[in-house]
Amino acid sequence: MNDVALSVSRGIARVTGAALGPYQTAVVRIGFAATWLLFLLRELPHRHELYGPDGPWSWSLAERLIDGNGAFSLLMLTDGRLWFEAVYALAVLSAAALLLGWRTRAASALFMTGVLSLQNRSVFMGDGGDNVLHLMSVYLVFTRCARVWSLDARRARRTEAARARGERVPDRLGPVLWVVLGIALAVVTLPGRLGSEWFVPMLLWTLWLAQALWWVVERRAKGGEPRILLDVIANTAHNGALLVIMAEACLIYATAGWYKVQGSRWQDGTAVYYPLHLDYFSPWPALGDLLSFSGTMVMLITYGTVAVQVAFPFTLFNRRVKNVLLAAMMTEHAVIAVVLGLPFFSLAMIAADAVFLPTSFLRRVGDGAARRWGRSVRRGDRVAGGDADVDADAQAEAGSEAGSEAGSEAGSEAEAGSGSGDGDGRGAGQAHVGSGA
Amino acid sequence: MRPVAHGAGGETETGIGERGAMDGYDTGPDARHGPDGPADADTRTGVAALSPRYQVGAALALAVVAVTVCVHIGMTFLHVAPANTVTKRHGRAIEEWIYPEFEQNWKLFAPNPLQQNVAVEVRAELRTADGGIRTTGWYGLSAQDGRAIDGNPVPSHTQQNELRRAWDFYVATHDSGNRPVGVRGSLSEAYLRRIAVMRLDRAGASRPGDVLDRVQFRSRATAVTPPRWSGERLTDRSETRELPWWRVPADEAEGGVA
Repeated sequence: MNDVALSVSRGIARVTGAALGPYQTAVVRIGFAATWLLFLLRELPHRHELYGPDGPWSWSLAERLIDGNGAFSLLMLTDGRLWFEAVYALAVLSAAALLLGWRTRAASALFMTGVLSLQNRSVFMGDGGDNVLHLMSVYLVFTRCARVWSLDARRARRTEAARARGERVPDRLGPVLWVVLGIALAVVTLPGRLGSEWFVPMLLWTLWLAQALWWVVERRAKGGEPRILLDVIANTAHNGALLVIMAEACLIYATAGWYKVQGSRWQDGTAVYYPLHLDYFSPWPALGDLLSFSGTMVMLITYGTVAVQVAFPFTLFNRRVKNVLLAAMMTEHAVIAVVLGLPFFSLAMIAADAVFLPTSFLRRVGDGAARRWGRSVRRGDRVAGGDADVDADAQAEAGSEAGSEAGSEAGSEAEAGSGSGDGDGRGAGQAHVGSGA
Repeated sequence: MRPVAHGAGGETETGIGERGAMDGYDTGPDARHGPDGPADADTRTGVAALSPRYQVGAALALAVVAVTVCVHIGMTFLHVAPANTVTKRHGRAIEEWIYPEFEQNWKLFAPNPLQQNVAVEVRAELRTADGGIRTTGWYGLSAQDGRAIDGNPVPSHTQQNELRRAWDFYVATHDSGNRPVGVRGSLSEAYLRRIAVMRLDRAGASRPGDVLDRVQFRSRATAVTPPRWSGERLTDRSETRELPWWRVPADEAEGGVA
């Protein structure tokens, strides 16, 4: 009984004490922002046909559909051409901001607004990739997805360093952004102007108010309890959203897999052959022919696809098996991108898969990228903190040199533990293990 | 192996649960030991650091998040699951929760992948400048899409989804006698008609002075040839469907579709 109580309190401490999976949420953020940004840029010449007021799915057709379902779209405020261009531009810019992790909470809200506005405007233009993006754009709003690999993280570090030197670092842009967005939100959500559904407007208003609350508490009660409470709430919301993102990915695979099990073509082992020979999904017909040359091959891929999709959610209980399946699924999506001509769908699915990547792997990738980036940037940017620099490099080495999976995991845990001051002594203990690995 | 403090927590197993600060990845001049976020390294975080008064607030937040997450995952599961006892009884509540923003469909190429190519074609009836009536030949719209996709590493949604899904929409909202079912039926007709007007215009179907009067769609579904090694015999029957002529409103005929 005591054990249960103990693990419950440990669990609560965990989900309230930190935003879990900082690297995973960051990679999901970057993945979906990049997918949407690339999609919008690719469709730039087709934007009017897809979402414009005079496109084939005209504004008035959309209005009649949305009257029925109450979906959220800024584009339904007016059928003006300039307004359309402005919303499209907002979608592009918010995707770029989210990608870089610039003012991330605001960027993620705008990102969601852009995704919903365009997709709900012309719902029949989308496919599975748009559907994943739609859901994830909402879930991302609740996460603290810019803890690493973002401009916000860099700004926080610089502010911290400056404070340590005793300098004051006022944030002038934040309040300005808040006021501007507040006015925009008021104009846009004036009663009656946006459909009957309250969910999205309410979510945006809540975020806006939360930002103000955060700002006030930050100024008034430095390090005090109100500040910690806000942190607890933000962490809890983040961890909840992270769980939803993971569950959503599992539901996608489970649904796709279990429905396939029932199909005769997936049973007789020929299913994969057919999409390869549909005119709409065969940009490289020769490639499709090559892949379906051998019946045995097609059967193996067909059965393999179903097996992986059905099995994936269950493999989460075993790290190694999970990683193998994850690699298989990402590879399959990369192949689908090319062979079926679905690059944005595949990119979105890979971004969703990425939430299950192991921390050690993500850090290694991040370290590699940072080192390459650092070499080019550092020369012009070198100021104080040289010793920290060396330290970070040494840690990166330790992480990447550890050969075995377990070893590198220990290494990264050690870094994480020593950095965040775990409070229960675990951090220190693992630091030793880490340096031994 | 690293010691795990308490059993094998699910999160740790998935590689998500690593309690991560950010250092180590950034070799820039600002890289330093410490948390990257606003949290202070010295303060204890989480509920443990709060007095009972504030712990009530934290507990409330935790409860709200926990309940919302559980309900949302449950609702989403029921939404994507096949019709069952629970969805039949609580279908209304599930729809209320899911629609409009959490709608989803993951029957990707399932239960069976599509096994036919649907060729959608359109022709127009034009009033010529001299008062006569001219009927154009059939324009293969799906074939145009197919050509645009061939050798294209990044097909546009306008090529891959627009007509294909508009046609599916039409088929789903009409009976075999081409009578619309519900409001969506008329929406889908207007949508297809506008696609036709736009595509015909791009194809240069009308000569100067012509006025687009009516359009007509037809489709031919051809089964994909089964693979050689399957030993299956193709029944070689293509299904055709011809839609009635639709009148084009004046504003559309004058180039009202982008």
